Amino acid sequence: MQKYLVRRALFALGTLVGVSIVIFVVLRVLPGDPLVAILGVEGHSRMTPADRVRIMADLGLSAPLPVQYARWISDISAGQLGKSFFRGDTVAELIAHRGPISAEIGILALVISWVVGLPVGILSAFKPNSIPDGLARALSVFFIAVPNFWMGMLIVLGLLFWFGYKAPILVVQVWQDPWQNFQIVIGPALVLGLAQGAYIARMSRSCLLEVIGEDFVRTARAKGLRERFVVMRHALPNAMLPVITISGVLLGFVLGGSVAVEQAFGVPGLGRALVTAVIERDIIVVQNLVLLYALIFVAVNVLVDLSYAWLDPRIRFG
Amino acid sequence: MADSTRSDRSQPPVTRRSFLRAAGVASGAAALGPAVLRRRAEAQETASPVRPDPAGKRGGTLRYGILNAPAHFDVHQSGTVSNLGPQSPMYDTLIRRNPKDGQTIIPDLAWKWDIAPDGKKYTFHLRKGVKFHDGADFTAEDVKATYERICRPPRGVVIPRTPLFATVGDIVVVDPHKIEFRMTESRPRPYMLGAFASGWNIIVRKKSLEDNGGNLRQVMNYPGTGPFKHVSRQDKEVWIQERNPGYWNKGLPMVDRLEIYNLPAFSPELGSAFLSGKVDYARIMDPVSHRKAKEMPGVTAVAFNQSVVQAFFMNIPKNKALADPRVRRAIHLAMDRPTLVDVVKDTAPMQVGGFVYPFHPMSTPRAELDKRLGYQKDIKPAVQEAKRLMKEAGYANGLKNLDFVVRDLATFRLWAVAIQAMLKEHLNIETNLRVVQTSVWFEEALAGNFDLAISAIVSSLMDPSELFSAWYGKDGPSNYSRWTNPAFHDLAAQIERELDDTRRTAMVRKAEDMLENDPPLIPVSYEQIADAWYNKVHGQNPTTFFGIYDVVRWDNVWLS
Repeated sequence: MQKYLVRRALFALGTLVGVSIVIFVVLRVLPGDPLVAILGVEGHSRMTPADRVRIMADLGLSAPLPVQYARWISDISAGQLGKSFFRGDTVAELIAHRGPISAEIGILALVISWVVGLPVGILSAFKPNSIPDGLARALSVFFIAVPNFWMGMLIVLGLLFWFGYKAPILVVQVWQDPWQNFQIVIGPALVLGLAQGAYIARMSRSCLLEVIGEDFVRTARAKGLRERFVVMRHALPNAMLPVITISGVLLGFVLGGSVAVEQAFGVPGLGRALVTAVIERDIIVVQNLVLLYALIFVAVNVLVDLSYAWLDPRIRFG
Repeated sequence: MADSTRSDRSQPPVTRRSFLRAAGVASGAAALGPAVLRRRAEAQETASPVRPDPAGKRGGTLRYGILNAPAHFDVHQSGTVSNLGPQSPMYDTLIRRNPKDGQTIIPDLAWKWDIAPDGKKYTFHLRKGVKFHDGADFTAEDVKATYERICRPPRGVVIPRTPLFATVGDIVVVDPHKIEFRMTESRPRPYMLGAFASGWNIIVRKKSLEDNGGNLRQVMNYPGTGPFKHVSRQDKEVWIQERNPGYWNKGLPMVDRLEIYNLPAFSPELGSAFLSGKVDYARIMDPVSHRKAKEMPGVTAVAFNQSVVQAFFMNIPKNKALADPRVRRAIHLAMDRPTLVDVVKDTAPMQVGGFVYPFHPMSTPRAELDKRLGYQKDIKPAVQEAKRLMKEAGYANGLKNLDFVVRDLATFRLWAVAIQAMLKEHLNIETNLRVVQTSVWFEEALAGNFDLAISAIVSSLMDPSELFSAWYGKDGPSNYSRWTNPAFHDLAAQIERELDDTRRTAMVRKAEDMLENDPPLIPVSYEQIADAWYNKVHGQNPTTFFGIYDVVRWDNVWLS
C-alpha cells in the first residue's frame, strides 16, 4: 500500500510538473501583448520602446524564460503565489476570497450528480425499456448534449424576465450569510450537477444491467432476499467501481465547466477570475490558477484510486 | 471667465503733490496692504457653480454599475472607464464640465483662470483651504507636479493625454494658490480648456508621486481632494466610497455612500443587475436590456454620444492596391453604413458618421452628410461610383486573399461578416477573416500584419485637432493604416493653430473633404452609450454629455 502511495504521489508530481511547464510555455508563446491590458489601447499605442523595456522589466517578463520558470517554481515552493500584473493583488488573496465559492459549486455539483444520477440509473436498470427508463434516458441525453453555459444563461434570463430575480452580484461566503451564499452557488451547481448526473445515470444503468445478470445476484434473489437488499447490498457495490472512476474524471469536467458556467451566471468564483485573467493576459494569475485546478484534479484522482481498495476488497495494491 | 487684458492708460506728469499723496498711500498700503489684499482676494474667490439642489435630499447609498476592474490604479496612465468610473469621485480637476449639460466648462479647484490674449499663458487661481483626504493642504505645487507628469511623463509611465499638452512649456508656481502654464505655441481655447477640463487629469498630491517614483499603477488609494473617500475595494466586485465630510464644495456630495459595482459594458450581467434592482444606475448597457429598461415604470433610459469611432483600417504600406486612394474610397463607398448600424443594434448602439464626430459643431451637419455618397440609405449610387473608381484604379476584377484581422468582440465579429459580404458583392474583394484577441489585434496592427482590420479607437477630446493628430496624423498612435497626405497634415497643423472658430470650421470641412477622397480609415460608425437609472436618482442626466470621461463625479447627485 505504502509503495503504491509513493508511486501515485510521484506520478502526481510528474503530472503537475508537466502541467506547469505546458502552461508556462503556452502563456509565453501565444501571441498577445499584456501591456495592451495594462496601459489600455490609447496608452499602448503611445508607448515608446524605452517605456516597454522598463515596464516589462518591472513585471519580471524581461528575464530569460528558464529564469522566469525557476522563479515561479521557487515562489510556489515557498508558498508564494505571486501578484497580479495589474493591481498588485496577490493570487493567494484571490484564491482565499473566490476559492470557497468555486469549491462549494464543485462539491454541490458532485453531490447533485450522485443524488440525481444514481437513483435514475438504478431505476432505469431495474425497469429497462419502461416509460421511466425511456424518460430517464432522454433526459440524460438532453443534459449531456446541452452546453452548460447556454443552460446557465437560460436560467438567468428566465429568472430575470419572469420573476425579476437575480442572484447576489458580490461574493457572499457561506459563513457570512448562508442564504445569500446559497442563491449564488445553487444555479451553477445545478447546471453542472445535472450534466454530470446524466453521465452517472447512464454509467450506473449500464453497470447495473451487467451486474444484475450475474450469478451472485440471481443467488441472492433465490435466497429470498428483498429486492431492495439485493440492489443495495449485492448489485450496487459491484457496479460502483466504474461509476466512481467516472466521477473522478467528471470532476475535471466540473472544474472546466465551472469556468463557463460561472461566467454565464455572473458568479464571482475562481473560474470567472481565470477567464478575466486570460483576457487580460495576467500571466501570473493564469498560471497559478491552472496549476491549482490541475492539483485538485490530480488529488481527486488519487483519492478515487485509493477508494477502490475500500470498495472492493479483492483489489490489493502493491 | 474673463480673459486678462492689458490696460494702456496715459500717465499724468508727476507733481510734488501727487508724489506726496502717492507716497502716503504707498506707506499706508505697506502697513495695511497684505491684510486688505488678502481679504479682497478671499472675497473674490467664487463658489463652484455646482451647488446642492435646494430640493434635494441628503444621505443614502447610490449603487452604481459600471466596468470597474481597472488593470491598474493610475488614472493618468489609463484610457479606460474601468479607472475613471470608480476612481473619479475621489478626485477633482483644475476645471471641469458642468454636470448639468456635460459641456460648459466651469471652475473646479481653480476658481478662476486668465488666458493671455495671444493664448500663450494660462493662469489658474486655486482655491484656498482645500485639503487632500489625508489632511494635507492642496497647493499649486500639487498642480505643478500633476501636470509636469502629464506633460512630460517619466520613463515607464505612459499617459495618453500627454499630446494634448504638447505646447505646454514651463509650468510656474506663482504663489501657493496661483499657477501659470506658459505655452510654446498657442492653441485654440476650446481645445486647451477642454484638455484641462478632461476628467482624466485629476489632481494628485506631489508627495504621492514622489513616494511612488512617479508611478501610481499599483497604488490603490492615493489621496485626492474629491467629494468621496475610499472605504474598501474588492477586486472585480465593488469599490465602496463614503462622503468626504471636509469637501471644499460645502453641501456636497449629497449622498453618503457610493457602491460602485464591477459590471462590464454591454454585458447581460449589467443589464440583469439593473433590471432586477440590484443597482440604481447602470452605465453602458446592452441595447436589449436598455430597451427593457425603457419600458419599466419608474426608470429613465437614455442614449448619448461617446468618444469612440468604430474604424476599418487598410494597410497602405503593405498592399499596393490599398495604397491607391481610389481603392480606399471605393471601399469607403461600398460600406452600407445604415445596414452596419442595424447589424449590431442588439449588441451595441451606434450611429452613422463621417471622419469627424458627427455631433461636433464643426463637422458636416447630419442632413448634409445623409445626402453624401457613402452615407445614404440607398447605397446604389455609392456602389456605382465605387465600381467606377475600382475600374479607374485598374482593379475592376476586384482583389483577392486580403487578410482581414478582426478584434474578438461581438460587434466586430458581426461587422466583419457583413463587411466581407459587402466587399465581395459590391467590389469583388475577397477577404479571409482572422478573429483575434484584443491584445493580439493591437500587436498585429502595430506590426502591420494585416491588409484590412477592424477595431475601435478613441480620442481624449471631441475637438477635431485631437482626431487629426491621433487618428490621421502622420505618426498618430491610432493611424494603423500608416496613412500620409502632406496637404492634409499641413491643413491639420493650421487648424491646430487657428484661434478663430469660423475660419477653423471652414478648414475642418475642407479637411473632411480631403479625407473623403483619400480615406486614412473608414468610419464604420460612432458608438453611443446607453445609461439607465431608477427615478429615485436625481441630478444626473447625460443626454447632452460627450462620452463618459468628463462628468464622472456624482457630487451633485441625490436620492429620493
